[in-house]
Amino acid sequence: MTQPIAETLLWALPLVPVVTALLMLTTSDRRILSAIDLAGSATLLALALVLADDVAAHGPRALGVLRIDDLGLVFLLLLALLTMAVSIYTVGWLKQAVALGNMRAEPRYLRSYFALVHLFVATMVVTVLADNLGVLWIAMEGTTITSAVLVGYHGHHHGLEAAWKYIIVTTIGISFGLFGTVLVYAAAAQGGATGMGWSEIMSVAPKLDPGIVRIGFIFVVVGYGTKAGLAPMHLWLPDAHSQAPTPVSALLSGVLIKCALLGIIRFQTIAAAACGTAFPAQVLLVFGLVSVVVATPFILTQHDLKRLLGYHSVEHVGIVALGLGFGGSIGTYGALLHVINHGVTKALAFFAAGTAIARFGSRDMTIIRGLFGVAPIGATLLMLAALSLAGVPPFSIFVSELLVLRAGIGGAHWVAIAIFLAMVVIIFAGLLHHAGGMVFGKPAAEVARGREAWSPLFGMMLLAAIMILLGLTIPASFDGLLRRAAEIIVG
Amino acid sequence: MSPEVVQTIIDDLGALLLFTMILILAAGQIYRAIYAVATQSFLIAVAGAVLATATGNPDLWVIAGVTLTVKTMVLPFVLHRVVQRLNVRREVEPVIPVGATLAIAVVVVVMSFQLSATLGSVHQAITGNALPVGISLTLLGVLVMATGQTALTQMVGLFASENGIFFTAMAVTQGMPLIIEIGVILDVILAALVMAIMVLRVRSTVDADIADLDELRG
Repeated sequence: MTQPIAETLLWALPLVPVVTALLMLTTSDRRILSAIDLAGSATLLALALVLADDVAAHGPRALGVLRIDDLGLVFLLLLALLTMAVSIYTVGWLKQAVALGNMRAEPRYLRSYFALVHLFVATMVVTVLADNLGVLWIAMEGTTITSAVLVGYHGHHHGLEAAWKYIIVTTIGISFGLFGTVLVYAAAAQGGATGMGWSEIMSVAPKLDPGIVRIGFIFVVVGYGTKAGLAPMHLWLPDAHSQAPTPVSALLSGVLIKCALLGIIRFQTIAAAACGTAFPAQVLLVFGLVSVVVATPFILTQHDLKRLLGYHSVEHVGIVALGLGFGGSIGTYGALLHVINHGVTKALAFFAAGTAIARFGSRDMTIIRGLFGVAPIGATLLMLAALSLAGVPPFSIFVSELLVLRAGIGGAHWVAIAIFLAMVVIIFAGLLHHAGGMVFGKPAAEVARGREAWSPLFGMMLLAAIMILLGLTIPASFDGLLRRAAEIIVG
Repeated sequence: MSPEVVQTIIDDLGALLLFTMILILAAGQIYRAIYAVATQSFLIAVAGAVLATATGNPDLWVIAGVTLTVKTMVLPFVLHRVVQRLNVRREVEPVIPVGATLAIAVVVVVMSFQLSATLGSVHQAITGNALPVGISLTLLGVLVMATGQTALTQMVGLFASENGIFFTAMAVTQGMPLIIEIGVILDVILAALVMAIMVLRVRSTVDADIADLDELRG
């Protein structure tokens, strides 16, 4: 492909969801809104795939403050894929939510809901494509603003409480991120860089003052780590994930926290070049371990299904951080694969949970019982998602967890490995206990036994297929992408 | 202006900024906290103007102007309106006594200076004592957010925290690129508006301060 087309794609990608959002404002019919939603997401996915193809053939592309390399591509593909799945799921979900009274049916509420979802996606596209570290921060704060409104969208005061906690905690966190960015930029300006571009700072990174980069990196990890849900800055996460409308929960957990991880990874590469790989690895290792340990008791004692999945995201973000901390090409490859695997699986889990919650009218796992008897397909998908999340072979998460583990053993991080394994085993038992009860228990008499809606099932099956495929084999082109992306991080 | 004069002015402004921060921390009434944070933003704008004259960088003039209009006028005005709409004149009841908060603040400031002192070579890139002052303001803003019980004190703390970052960013030799600074300020305005709407929404539906809601646990 010729150069101009690839560069056009770079600025066209963030515009697609923006235009989709604007189109939403022209109509108020639920069917037309869903159609625009599907079309917008399909366009985004198609363009992302074209760009992926081009980058695989010709290497990184840059245009102004935007840049795409193999590392960004991993996250972009996850984002586009999950946006597509969310759109498919939303068609049937919305119909049901309006019927149940969970979403207000007034046209202007539906309209602005769809518009906000696409603006949220647009801000995430910019975080992934941003080369300029300032733009990265602005887009990251943009994701907070758009998604905070969505978290409180039900208008219930629990939703507003969660939204407030979310916007305050992540905004404080991300202020630290900006401070860290300023410090790194100060070091870079001293080191001879004229701009804030990541690629430009990377070119002078070995000459940067290690002292200031070190402090900057810690600020950034705390800042973007808040957004990524790393413990102990994860306080907003279970509330926001449990109170948001289900499609938004899937986007928050599947994509948003991964975008924040990409921000951390960008700074990790700078810090590794300026003060050696050991320092950033050590920081990520500590935060990763703390996240895995902190999440465990909350997963075991949880009654609320969506909160359970929220705490589970804290654990898995911790595993990604561990993979990056163990480092080396295996650990980094495992961490990136885990980003994709967890994103796909967690979105599937939220979808399946949302459908079950709508059927039982409760998020309480002691009330959701015997799902298999009333909704066999949905129950099977929920069970598959839970098995994969727990790390059962042959599902995809098993593979990436194994890679992270192998990197840890290779680096002789015995204490970290021991803690990690113990927690994973405990969570395995806890999660299967919860899931088994929900799927196979005895259903209460008054459960709705209606037919399962096709569009949520189709969205879930799409994700389940990818989840199973990535567990069995990793396609060569995808493997190449992950290898090149890991190479960017490892250097 | 010679570099020494600029450095002296920036250091003096830094001292004043820390003073306004203490006023915010010790403010008994929300109005006082709002006036203090507006004053603080005004000092940031002055610092921007001083650095613009010293470096001859026109971008810093724009940043100073935007800070002046947005952070010293528009945002305090929004906060003021929200307070009027909420009709809360009650005292801000701190979680920790004011004395203890101020003691923590002193520790934070001393530690920030200690930390910056260990970074010798950085002083070439950042003017004067802007770095320790910036770190102090950022951390103390977070302290305000953590100890303040009402939604409005949390917002004031947030703006104070952002002020600290802006002060440091300005003192970095060339300043951040203009477009980035503008984008950051835009984000702050949007976040403030969304927060204000949420505060009013909760007040009208359940008649409570949004920061007092604590039913989500575990």
